Amino acid sequence: MSVPFTVEQVDKSRVSRRRATFFTLVFLLTTLASWFMADLLWRGPSNYADLPVLVLFAILFANIATGFCTAVLGLYVINRGDSARITRSIEGEPLSQLPLGSTAIIMPVFNEDPSRIFEGLRVIYRSLEETGRLDDFDFFILSDSNDPNRWIQEEVAWAELCKQLNGFGRIFYRKRRVAINKKSGNVADFLRRWGSSYRYMVVLDADSIMTGESIVQLVAMMERNPTVGILQTAPRIVNGITPFSRIQQFASRLYGPMFLSGLNYWHQGESNFWGHNAVIRVAPFMEHAALPELPGAEPFGGRILSHDFVEAALMRKAGWKVWLAYDIEGTFEEGPPTLIDSAKRDRRWCQGNLQHSWLLFARGFHPINRFHLLMGIMGYVGSPLWLLFMLICTLHRFNTVQHAADAADAGPHYTMIFDYAVPMPEALALFILTMVLIFLPKVLSLGLVLKHGRSGAYGGPFRLIISTVLEVIASALLAPINMMFHAKFVAYILLGQGVSWVTQQRKASDDPDWREAIITHYGQTLFGLVWGASTYIIAPSFFWWLSPVLLGLVLSAPLSILLSRASLGRRTREIGLFLTPDETEPAKELTLLDRHLAECYKQMQPIRELRRDYGLMQAILDPYVNAVHVSLLRQRRPGSYSVRRYFVELRRKLLADGPDRLSTREKMALLLDPESMNWLHEQLWKQPPEKLSPWWRLAMRQYNVLTATPVTALYR
Amino acid sequence: MEPPLDTLNAFRPRTGTPEQWNAAYIRVEDYLRAHRVHNRLQQITILQKVIARAAARHEQDTTLDPTTLAAEEIDRMMDEWFGELLGDKNLPHERIAVEGRVALLLSDGVDRWPYSFLDEQCVPPEFAQEMQRRSIQAGPDMTVTSMVPRTIELGALTEVAGQTFEQIEKWPILRVTLLWALFLSVMALVFYATR
Repeated sequence: MSVPFTVEQVDKSRVSRRRATFFTLVFLLTTLASWFMADLLWRGPSNYADLPVLVLFAILFANIATGFCTAVLGLYVINRGDSARITRSIEGEPLSQLPLGSTAIIMPVFNEDPSRIFEGLRVIYRSLEETGRLDDFDFFILSDSNDPNRWIQEEVAWAELCKQLNGFGRIFYRKRRVAINKKSGNVADFLRRWGSSYRYMVVLDADSIMTGESIVQLVAMMERNPTVGILQTAPRIVNGITPFSRIQQFASRLYGPMFLSGLNYWHQGESNFWGHNAVIRVAPFMEHAALPELPGAEPFGGRILSHDFVEAALMRKAGWKVWLAYDIEGTFEEGPPTLIDSAKRDRRWCQGNLQHSWLLFARGFHPINRFHLLMGIMGYVGSPLWLLFMLICTLHRFNTVQHAADAADAGPHYTMIFDYAVPMPEALALFILTMVLIFLPKVLSLGLVLKHGRSGAYGGPFRLIISTVLEVIASALLAPINMMFHAKFVAYILLGQGVSWVTQQRKASDDPDWREAIITHYGQTLFGLVWGASTYIIAPSFFWWLSPVLLGLVLSAPLSILLSRASLGRRTREIGLFLTPDETEPAKELTLLDRHLAECYKQMQPIRELRRDYGLMQAILDPYVNAVHVSLLRQRRPGSYSVRRYFVELRRKLLADGPDRLSTREKMALLLDPESMNWLHEQLWKQPPEKLSPWWRLAMRQYNVLTATPVTALYR
Repeated sequence: MEPPLDTLNAFRPRTGTPEQWNAAYIRVEDYLRAHRVHNRLQQITILQKVIARAAARHEQDTTLDPTTLAAEEIDRMMDEWFGELLGDKNLPHERIAVEGRVALLLSDGVDRWPYSFLDEQCVPPEFAQEMQRRSIQAGPDMTVTSMVPRTIELGALTEVAGQTFEQIEKWPILRVTLLWALFLSVMALVFYATR
């Protein structure tokens, strides 16, 4: 009988060869391009900017080459097959026979849409139930929500879901009184309370969906490979509605497999953790991955924001492997609906990744982990470097124009490769090489899908090609906008400043906010106009080279609005553009989620006057919601006289004057105090009408009048 | 044979104004609706009981507000009923009220046994069983464990940088001056390199 495969069988020298191949390719490509660039710079009139331009170019090109080489190696692996992948350890075994261990499925949440959270959880729970392996799993909703409405909605939805699924004792809800250290603190709090009861934890985001099959397989892989500490999946982006999110999910679905295969090729047991849709071995994680603070204060120092990369590095440092289960099916997440929402997310990630600079030289980290940290930093620092590179090139060009009668003749008209002169301007050769590195992986991915006859899942070959061309145009226009965003974030963080935002939009909308778009993008538009106009006047030939960048910047606001329109996104889907296999052949879980959410959202909204404080109103007025809420609160010792007076005054104000007179903090204080919640419920119903504010009188008369059940996040 | 009308009209509050009793009636009606008791017949039966008990108390002390009395009476009726059903009559009001309402919600009692809510005589045994077995468990038993962050050795260069960084943070004027100096140097460098 053959010995089952484990990752321990992967030959270390083979892993070293893979990495040598990868880094050699990156080095060769970067060297070749830098050589062209140096030649180009040194052949023209000598300038002090030559050296900085060359250094910047080499750094930026190495970054592009890393992506390109990953994709090319991915293509190689896809065509040839890869025996060094962790999914092999359970291949061909029926789900019912896979070995499992006690597992907590945790979902940290923070003010997200409760309907989406709990309907997502329902789908995962049901899917796991269907595998027949539910007994090994517990579910935890770990809430840090600080919006009173969201909090109460979560509690009601949790109780309702448990009732509907008979999930009491298996699905748990925990709200932190004080939300320290954001998501990593939330998870750490869970681990301190219950971690030792579980061997594994599957970490999900509020928008994650995983099929029961994929969860069982993940845990079984951990059981089979006892040296693995973290096993990360590659979630697919789904449920996009706006053109922006549909383009992102199309790109990730079409190009993703090649990059992911390539990542596994050279990552092997030193892969990375992306924060969710992953399984973690709890005991070593608790022992080795608790995060210390960084030197200095935020935003550059202080608590670590992007915890996942660091946790992976700490686990690896302690001898635990981190693998990427890149080829496992049934793992999904959702992307931001608009360009602005994407930038808001990038703002957080940027700050977190820049903090990793402290850890680049940390003692004991594996070199590959250092490389992951560096790539994370370069993901954002690359943008200001690109901007600087292009600005220096522009100034350099202006300088050349001033000193040369004919600027167009400044560069050489041939390219030297060793001793051979190729009749092509060197700048063009360099440009073509760069474009090849950026676009070839996209073309190869398209070719792979066409070759394997999978184009039908993307709407057919014609629509697939059109969608790819449109995606390339969109990504080319969006790249300079993102460059400007990232450059701004990096600059602000280095200066110790935060970035402020106007109102935040979470869901896809048919009527995007023009005001927000203009306020967010006007600087980019102005910058593009000034840059474009000056280039056009001083060096018209250079203007055309810059035009794709300038076009994106000048059109940033209308582009942002256009790509945010849900109606346009739905139209692209109707005509078969940007289709993905997850839309044409969706997993059952995605279809169910879609159907359940549609049912939730079509329900009646609370009346307008009550909407703003509906959660607080339910927690006080509704006898059931009040009872559930009080049951979930921890009893407190009676506070000092002044604390008691404070609560008495707040309660009186709430009933007599209505919730508008209280701040969110005061409302949260009352909601956290079980004695106040009991008192408020009782007194609300006992007080004669004239002693209550009109808001409460309206609430009592309106509640449950038009529906048999109150408005909650969950309906079925 | 039809029941005589005078039995239906037997109850009338002897004290308080009709407006006061209307307000009390509306309050109890709202409260029942908040409990998702939408069956009119059941509402009327409970309402009459509650108002009768409240009216009896009002006769003894007419300074009390009928709405408050009615709300107190329905609370008392519920406490007695929950205590009987859950088998623990000695719990304080806050606990029995909360536990009873949670059990009622989780068992779907009002929907599944619409005429049994607050009925003292005839509660189906399966309803009673459901009520007794339903309670809320937000989390499993805690097994508290420590999770202590370990210091990461940042490396000699980074340690020095960190210390410098922390030192600079203590003097914000120096920090701002350094940042401006850095910015101006970069600008000067770019200008010098490209002119």
